[in-house]
Parts: sequence; structure tokens; C-alpha cells
Amino acid sequence: MIWVTWRQHRAQILVTGGFLALLGLLLLGSAVEAGVYVAGHAPPGCPGPAVACGEVEVGLAYRYEAVYTVFGWMPLVLPALIGAFWGAPLLGREYERGTHRLAWTQSVPVWRWLAVKLALLGGAVVAGGLLLSAMVSLWRPVFRAGVDSTFGNIGVFNMVGVAPAAWWLYAFALGTLAGALFRRTLPAMALVVAGVAATMFTLLQVSDHYAEPVRAELSGTVLLDDPDARLVRGAWVEPSGREVAEPPAGSCPRRADAGRSSRNAEAWQECLFAKGYRYAVYYHPPARFWRFQWTEAGILVLASGALGGLAVRRTLRRPG
Amino acid sequence: MRAALEAAGLGVRYRRAWALRDCSLSVPAGRVAALVGPNGAGKTTLMHAAVGLLRPALGSVRVRGEAAFVAQDKPLYDGFTVAETLSFGRRTNSRWDGTSAADRLGRLGVPLGRKVGGLSGGQRAQVAITLALARRPDLLILDEPLANLDPLARHDVMRTVMAEVAERELTVLLSSHVVADLEETCDWLVVLNGGRLQVSGDIEDLLGEHLVLTGPADLIDEPPGGAPGEPPRGAPGEPPGGAWDRGRGLAGGVAGGPVVVSASRTGRQVSLLARGEPPRDPRWQVRRPGLDELVMGHLRGPGPAALPRLTGVNG
Repeated sequence: MIWVTWRQHRAQILVTGGFLALLGLLLLGSAVEAGVYVAGHAPPGCPGPAVACGEVEVGLAYRYEAVYTVFGWMPLVLPALIGAFWGAPLLGREYERGTHRLAWTQSVPVWRWLAVKLALLGGAVVAGGLLLSAMVSLWRPVFRAGVDSTFGNIGVFNMVGVAPAAWWLYAFALGTLAGALFRRTLPAMALVVAGVAATMFTLLQVSDHYAEPVRAELSGTVLLDDPDARLVRGAWVEPSGREVAEPPAGSCPRRADAGRSSRNAEAWQECLFAKGYRYAVYYHPPARFWRFQWTEAGILVLASGALGGLAVRRTLRRPG
Repeated sequence: MRAALEAAGLGVRYRRAWALRDCSLSVPAGRVAALVGPNGAGKTTLMHAAVGLLRPALGSVRVRGEAAFVAQDKPLYDGFTVAETLSFGRRTNSRWDGTSAADRLGRLGVPLGRKVGGLSGGQRAQVAITLALARRPDLLILDEPLANLDPLARHDVMRTVMAEVAERELTVLLSSHVVADLEETCDWLVVLNGGRLQVSGDIEDLLGEHLVLTGPADLIDEPPGGAPGEPPRGAPGEPPGGAWDRGRGLAGGVAGGPVVVSASRTGRQVSLLARGEPPRDPRWQVRRPGLDELVMGHLRGPGPAALPRLTGVNG
């Protein structure tokens, strides 16, 4: 059965492996080039307050952005592709071509056929996700050490740690179930793309509740001085200490801003701070990185198990 | 008589509709059994239930030993080469005779390196059947193996199967809706219609038991309105054309006389397929049916609920 799995799915395995190898080369090249650039341009003492250090920082940021635009779409698109090309055809194609009647009438029982395929392909998908995560995690500090972490930006967050592996596994399980239900590949692929997008949006909303947010009271500014924190919400605190969503109307003169200017809003905030108001922000500090990683991975892995279980149940009930 | 395939009270349901109902039959080991019936009769359903692709809602179907199945349209992986297809068989089966499979395909001139998707219909059928035979099955189940094949390929496919039957004890169950395909090769007959078993038995015996009677139409009884406990005649869904007198004795019929399976009237002439002793009335022309007439007679015949009662009616 291992040979059968390899023979039937080698196209996906090779394409995904090739893609990861190309991406690895790109990241390696980019990191090596950045290393050469830093070695050639940064005077001793960098990172530090020197002007030349600032120049190097900007140069690195420019290089980082250039590569990031190449794979900024990956957290959403890669799981969708994995689900569409690894998951959906697994059962969908067999039903579509009628070959399930060939595969499941040999002496290998259907449950073992399913178990071997799901275990091998699911394992390969998890390994691929972890490899992506490892490559991005090795590459990123070359540019961003001391600048930001991988917690604040949800796109980056989903490319490091265990998140890619969990997302890929989830998409694979969703695709497998869709193939078992539709018994055709193309509708199953469409469902995977929609399903992964919907799940990502939902988890983005839900992730605020992975932990109780930390509360901080700010005076003089409404901006938290930590680019890596995930903001949950903000509120005004009256001089009495009571928290309100909006200060009572008329407490300070307020005007709408035109265009991109925020001058009027800032003036209003300054007035409020002068009257003794403070601004409370609720946020998740970057130290919660692994807690959030494991929570999200836990949800996705449980969901994968449930979807995969449904696909198996459906298949064993009506193998014909 | 050891049965290779045995069904007892088998019922299979797709959502609400019954695809197969109350089906009890057995195919003795070593036979080549023809499963015939019109499209939608339940042939494929019976085969799928026998190989475990469907779970019966009622009753059971049992296969003695190993069964190998070739589904309709001979599903194979088109992207595999013929050699890879054999490799697939070797790796998904505990019993595997790869040498004779490769030999057979070699003799038939099927190139092992060719992709399955690029084979002719006849070659594809040969690969599918070879894959099944390499498992050394006790029962070979073939769903419409001859459909979509040209006459030469039909002949070759049947020769492959019959060569294996001659070589060792192998039971074959093959379905077709073309009776002519099966006449030379099969020695057991199973007729299904509308999800019900119509007839099952040794072909020689069945042909010996049946008669085709031709005579003037006034020789048969008008239906007297049904014996007590019998369902009303002319139930909805019965085919038109003299469906009214089935199971009745003939005019002046004596107990032990022939039992009508089906009748067709053309003007003043009536032609009957009947079972039992020939009638004494000399106005009947009597002859033995061909397999085709036998099958057609039973397909036009009564609902299977009436079949067991036939013997009751006529002692």
C-alpha cells in the first residue's frame, strides 16, 4: 500500500517538495545576500545609534519587504492548494473514475487502504508545513532581529511555529471529506478553497479569546508602544476611573478629519487627556506566542480529526 | 453441491427505493453463471453486495473463498502502465500469481510498458480480467465484461475466462443484458427483473423443464378473477400484452399439466412459455425453448411474488 500511495500521489508530493525546495533556495539566497550586505556596510558597533546603522536597517527592511511580497500570500493560499490537490482528489478522483471499485475490492480492506493513505499523506503534509515553518523561522531573524517578533502580524504568525503544519493538515482533511461527500474532484476543490478562507477568517476573530487580554492604561497617547502586541480593543477611562466606550458627548470639541489627516482626532484626544481621561488598551503581549500557536494548532488538529473521521465513516458506510 | 455464492433473503436499498428485494439464490461451485436482466434489474447491485461494496439492508450474501471482481467499464488507473497495474495488484493482494499474469498479457500482445489509458477496449478488458485472475480467486465476478467490445474482443475475453475455468476449479458469475453473449459459455442462469429474482438454475435443466406452446387463442382460460389469497391480476406496472393468465392451467388442464410462465397473443394465435409436462390437447404445437426465449419469457413473466404460488395452484 505504501508503493500504491506513492504511485498515485507522487505528482502532488513532487510538486510540493519542489516548491518548498525553490522557496528554500530563495530564502537562503536572500539571507546570504543580506549577510554580505551587512558585512560590507555596517560599521562596527551596529546595531546601535550611529547614522550608518540606520542606513543598514533601512536597507535590510527594503530587502525583507521585497521577499515578503513573494510569500505574503502563502498563509492563505498554501493550505487551500494543499486541500485542493492533496485532499480533494484522494477520494473524489477514485469515485469520479470508478476506480474505487477496483481499489476497494482487492484483498486489502477499505479501512486499511484509508488508514495508510491518510497516515502517509497526512504525515507528509505535516512534514511539509513544519519544513516551511523552519525555513521561514531561520530566514526571518537575519532581517528582523531586534525589530519585531512573529506574534503581532497574523500572516507571519501563520507561517512559523506549528501553525503551517496545522493549517495544511486541516485543509487536507477538509479536502478529503469534501471528496467523500461530493464524489467528484472539482466541487471538492472549490469547497476546500471556500472552507479554508472561511476558517481563517473565523479563527482570526476567535483568536482574541485564546487568552484573557492584558490591560494597560495610557495617558497622552492612544498607541501602545509595542509593534508586536496584538490589540484586542481600547476604551476611555473617565477621571473617576469608570471605563466607557465613548466619552460623553460635549466633553471635548470634536470634528471629523478630512482625507488622511488625523489632526482633528489627535486634538480631541489631547483635550481628553488634559481633562484627566486615560486610554485603556486590551492586548496580547508577544510572550504569548507559543500559547497562541498551540491553541490554534489544537483547534485545527481536533477539527482535522473530526473531518477525517467523518470522511472515513462516510466511505466505510457506502464504499460502492 | 457446494455453493460458491449464496444469497438469502437479500435486500438492498438506495435511500428509499429497493434495488434488490427478497433475493435468495445460490450458484454451485465450478459453474459459469449468467446473470441476466434488463437495465436496472439489480444485477450490479447483487454483484456489489457480493463483493462488499454495498451493505445489504436485509438478509445476507456469502462468498465461499476469495472473490475477485471486475466492475462495469473495467475501472483501472489510466495513468499506470500495464506493469504498474500488475504491481498494484501484487501489493494489494495476499494471493498473487504475477508470473502467469505477465505471461497471459504477453501472449495476448498487451505491451507491459504502455499506459492503461492508451490501451484498446479489448486490451483494457484483458488487463482488468488478468488482474482479477492473478488473485487466484475461487469466484470471479464480472459486471458486463463484454459491453463496449467488438465481436473479436468479446470472443477473446470469453476465451481468457474459459481457459482459466478449464484449468482449475473456478466459479464465474458474469452479467449481461445480451443473452446471445452467454449462450455458448454459461451453464447456470440467474434472471433478475425489477430487483426480484425470476429464475435461477442449471441451464440444461431449465431448458428441459420449459416448453413453448403455440396454438389458437381460444385454448386458454380467461382469468376467473383470482383464487382466494392471490393478489389481483393485472397489477399496475405489468407489461402490456396478455399478462392476465399467468400461473393458470390451460383449458381443460389436468393437475400436473403445464404452468404458464408468460403468454403473448398475436391475433388468434397465442404463444406460451410454460413449465411442466406437455398438454394432451393435440391442437398445441410443442417445442423446447432456446435460452433467449426462456429468458425473455421469464422477463415478461409474473411478478416474483406470484412465482412460488404457481406450483401451489397446479399441485
